Amino acid sequence: MPAGPVGELQVVGHRLPKLDAPQKVTGQIAYADDLRMSGLLEGAILRSPHPHARILSIDVSAAERLPGVRAVIHAGNVEQRRFGYGDDNLPLKGDKVRFIGDEVAAVAAVDEETARRALELIRVDYEVLPAVFDPFEALEDASPSIHDELPGVVGNVAMRWDFDDGDVDAAAARAAAIVEGMYSAPQAAPAPIETHVVIASFSPSGHLTVWSPVHMVFMYRKALADCLGLDWQNITVIQPPVGGSFGGKIDIDSHDFIAVMLARHARRPVRLVMTREEEFIGTRTRQPIHFRLRTGADAEGNLLFRDAEVVSDNGAYNAWGSHAMLVAMSTITSMYRVPNSRIRCAVVYTNKNYGGSVRGFGNPQATFAVEQQMEELADALGMDPMDLRLKNANQSGDVTPQGMKITSCGLSECLRIVREQSGWDQRRGTMRDRHRGLGAAAFIHVGGGARIYGSDGCGAIVKVDDSGQVTLISGSSELGQGSETALAMIVAEEMGVPIGSVQVVNSNTDIKPWDVGVHASRTTFVAGNAARLAAAAARDKLLATAAELLGAPPAELRIRNGMVEVAAEPDRRIDFARAVRRRLLREEGTVVMATAFYDPPTEHQDKEYRGNISAAYGFGAHVAEVEVDPGTGMVRLLNLWTAHDVGRAINPMSCEGQIEGGSAMGAGLALSEELVMFDGQIAAPNFHDYGMPTAVDVPRIVVNLVETVDPLGPFGAKGVGEAGIIPPPAAIANAIADATGIRPRAYPMRPWKVKQWIDSGERSHVVVAKGGLDDG
Amino acid sequence: MRIELRVNGDDYRREVEPDLTLLHFLRDVLGLTGTKWGCLTGDCGACTVLVDGEPVVSCLQLACQVRDREVTTVEGLETADGLDEVQAAFVSNGAAQCGFCTPGMIVAVEALLRSNPSPTEAQVRESLSGNLCRCTGYNKIVDAALQAARARLLATDIA
Amino acid sequence: MVDVFVPDTLDEAVGFLGHHAGAAIPIAGGTDVLVDTRTGRSAPEWLVDLSSLPGLGGVELDGEVLRLGALTRIRAVELDPELQRRAVALVEAAKVLGSVQIRTMATVGGNLCHGTPSAEMPPALLVHDAVAEIVGLGGRRSIPLAELFAGPGRTTLGPDELLTSLRARVRASSAGSCYLRQTVRWSMDLAGVGVAASVEVEGTTVTSARVALAAVAPVPLLVGSATETVVGTDLPSEVADEAGRQAAAACSPISDARGTADYRREVVSVLVPRALRIAWLRATGAWPEGVPAPVNGVWTEEDL
Ligand code: FES
Ligand code: FES
Repeated sequence: MPAGPVGELQVVGHRLPKLDAPQKVTGQIAYADDLRMSGLLEGAILRSPHPHARILSIDVSAAERLPGVRAVIHAGNVEQRRFGYGDDNLPLKGDKVRFIGDEVAAVAAVDEETARRALELIRVDYEVLPAVFDPFEALEDASPSIHDELPGVVGNVAMRWDFDDGDVDAAAARAAAIVEGMYSAPQAAPAPIETHVVIASFSPSGHLTVWSPVHMVFMYRKALADCLGLDWQNITVIQPPVGGSFGGKIDIDSHDFIAVMLARHARRPVRLVMTREEEFIGTRTRQPIHFRLRTGADAEGNLLFRDAEVVSDNGAYNAWGSHAMLVAMSTITSMYRVPNSRIRCAVVYTNKNYGGSVRGFGNPQATFAVEQQMEELADALGMDPMDLRLKNANQSGDVTPQGMKITSCGLSECLRIVREQSGWDQRRGTMRDRHRGLGAAAFIHVGGGARIYGSDGCGAIVKVDDSGQVTLISGSSELGQGSETALAMIVAEEMGVPIGSVQVVNSNTDIKPWDVGVHASRTTFVAGNAARLAAAAARDKLLATAAELLGAPPAELRIRNGMVEVAAEPDRRIDFARAVRRRLLREEGTVVMATAFYDPPTEHQDKEYRGNISAAYGFGAHVAEVEVDPGTGMVRLLNLWTAHDVGRAINPMSCEGQIEGGSAMGAGLALSEELVMFDGQIAAPNFHDYGMPTAVDVPRIVVNLVETVDPLGPFGAKGVGEAGIIPPPAAIANAIADATGIRPRAYPMRPWKVKQWIDSGERSHVVVAKGGLDDG
Repeated sequence: MRIELRVNGDDYRREVEPDLTLLHFLRDVLGLTGTKWGCLTGDCGACTVLVDGEPVVSCLQLACQVRDREVTTVEGLETADGLDEVQAAFVSNGAAQCGFCTPGMIVAVEALLRSNPSPTEAQVRESLSGNLCRCTGYNKIVDAALQAARARLLATDIA
Repeated sequence: MVDVFVPDTLDEAVGFLGHHAGAAIPIAGGTDVLVDTRTGRSAPEWLVDLSSLPGLGGVELDGEVLRLGALTRIRAVELDPELQRRAVALVEAAKVLGSVQIRTMATVGGNLCHGTPSAEMPPALLVHDAVAEIVGLGGRRSIPLAELFAGPGRTTLGPDELLTSLRARVRASSAGSCYLRQTVRWSMDLAGVGVAASVEVEGTTVTSARVALAAVAPVPLLVGSATETVVGTDLPSEVADEAGRQAAAACSPISDARGTADYRREVVSVLVPRALRIAWLRATGAWPEGVPAPVNGVWTEEDL
């Protein structure tokens, strides 16, 4: 649906509090763990202590005898099928375990303590197998084979992502400067403050209800049915309010199946609550990715090529993480205008916790490599990095080498804003004596859906009741990001009613229409367009009735502040709710209700990874300022200036909130967050050691919203949910480089690593530098 | 073990297991689920409540250790006129996204403002550093705390 | 399941601990004990709740002698105006320990007796010549604080013994101290390296100094050699650096998720001179009162 004329907006574009905020600040809102239910049993999962082992036998008899235990399940006594993208995973492992934390058995008991004690009584005999943790080692012939049961898997390679555009070698031969280097991103975690909680309950007739904060809920329901042999129609999924996800709760996971199997065995409702330790050990992470990247440009600073060899460390199974290259690839080929590109990527199984879809999905990792090389290249060419970026910036109307059609693009403006605000031209390169530096990074990310499934669509229903209350029933769901409020604002705007008249229902599969799910920063764009279409259709029905009452054709009417009025004579008007009642409360009356389904004009990528995967793309740029302590390697983030092309800010306060929150997560990735592992064991699976930034670690983040008004977005809006997290690791690395002269190679840039680079003099590698540029 | 204590102005007398934490006492015994948990190791602050006006992490406090004391949770902050200044500022500043850190965060801000009615931004950040928020990046939480402080000072001035 | 015993008197507490030797452990603030029981690091049958025992809290000053009750909350140390003047290292160490919530609950005694090598209180008290006062079934005894620590998570206290208070030397003038750390996050973090230093001067000449380290040995470490180096000097940076090298040589760090042994040793050699210099600036009155040192000790004239 086209953006259409926006005119003067009554609701959209205003800073409105989230609809659910009052309930949240009083503690009234009930998250999954706050639900109280009669007869509820507590579940617990026995996890593998070994990174790689064959399960020889499981003895659960002692656990079953423990008073208070109502079910003990393991691969030997349940019905389950393989799941996951590689069909390589089972909820409860039967043959082998492949990482520390892999699910082996589970119990349901009257309380948590009994459940935990029962786990201790389960005896598992393992034959410990050699394990491999480093993806480069996993590629070697001598490496242990993690999925020897899958004939298609050779050399632990789960997937390959290879891409070719143009002629990289010919371009390299022409380049005036080429920079080359390794850039690594670690295993990190989405780490929402609420852990995963799932409750499963069967009715006496066999109807399953699951309460789960998952956000691809229709796919979740199908996966439950497929894996457990249940009737798809007989499953209701209810999404309680979500205490943060960031992708961590997007998808179905082993514990979801386990909760259902426990409920089936125990014939009682069962709740599974992940502890914080389990959350780190046993739920999905952000996959580590290693890039060997080369970028070349001519003497004028025109980019000539990018050439990447990528190893993505998948972990033990294929979940969404195996597809993070989908996004990482688009950044390598399409961030700035790159006429030639080549990517060779292997996604490699290792005996570690496996990757999911975490905010940014491969993009912070790829941007860390790509945007550091932009500054390295600029330095090699003797150009200002901002000039190099502006010279090569994507523009509206571009079609990238992967076929991404850029319909609106504020990249150049974003770059100019952060350049100006940070005092870039005066300050960069001048503060090394005080160990301070500035660094920049930009990004490109999908912002108008992302076709990864048969449909990229979302359904919406708008109904108006006799009080004039408008209800939007949306297929999409709220994760805390504010989409519910944004959708209500779109409906209020479209219908001409105040925001207080709109409520949103979006958490029950029995009620809400189909949606792919909340991912890829798509909700405002896709669900927003669906809501707008449904609202427009409902409004038109109402206008038809009002037209009868006011004696004017519908085309001459408008709705403002809850009144239907004749546009030319605003005194001729009737109350919105009265119009509804007049339509309803009469012979052959009808309800005011309309449905819509919006599937954006996006394309599946073909086998060569070409296709316009999204209907709009978001852009933005950050500048970070840091102070480095050369003695300890401690880095303080002093400032972060951000500018984001959001198309249009439906609710500027929420947009800022998304960008600020994303940026803080990005700063955490850059400087502190990591699941440090020794031999496949997470050293300290707790918040303390994980290193999530506190209010002291994050400076006041400056946010600029750039409105390019996308032609297809609802009121011109594009997605913004993931964007903030993408640039900080690269921008902060560049700032550290400016402050010290070293070139960071990996994040998190924890103090000991920074100190090591300082001591060893880690520098950029300029492999070709014509015209007297010096190396390093 | 039998304990007596006051929670949000109401007196309770309950028999509790000696190793029951205050967090679980509030959530499971009294049904006050407004107080959240994120770690149970003192690292996230989601479970923050006031004991005799001082902020503590209720996950590391035994219920039996707060015998005869006064506990305030997020549910106890609302005034007769509705939301208190801190809660209202969290709403109007967009300081609650997923809302899971919010009860603990609000209680921590209450504690700060009771001991320091006009904190600087740096002081707000310092005193909230035990409360992790994964959603907001803290800007809007800090703004809400500062705005609540101003609103409260104004209210006292007028009174 | 753990049971809780609530003694009314110190004698009762000691008696109970002695009777249940090995099966009972004291709990005060609970911030370490309950994490240990939750994560299975300890599995006592009894917790002996000291939190309401009378007479074990409080900060008292008598001339140059500070008496700090073992149940004194870290937060009380942080906010004490007299300590802010006379025992800055102690206050700076208190300030960076955990969060406001943790500091409100945790006690000085708990922080010492948990035996964490990276704990904040031990080095800060060691540079103030602290003496530990202990009570047990055998009566009372006092030991230099350094003798309290036996290894990671271990102290020299008998199973029946309790730390009741600390006595430390806090001069009102011509003395200064400082506590610095290396951490990953700037707040809510354990020290990768912690360094406390104290200096006493006559005029600008150092008459006595102490350097103590956290997280770089199995126990908190008082470094005698570094001290000797600086006495009699005006603490120029070469001397401070030399003291740093000696401290680095004296410690025995391990490699873990927070850094390698070599890195930690290097950080000791960087933070010790910084801490000594700031302590000296404070002792000589060149550092404005009430201005905290940045946690890693990096400062410019603008900061003062
Ligand atoms: S749950 Fe208490 S601090 Fe995290
Ligand atoms: S609002 Fe979600 S964690 Fe703070």
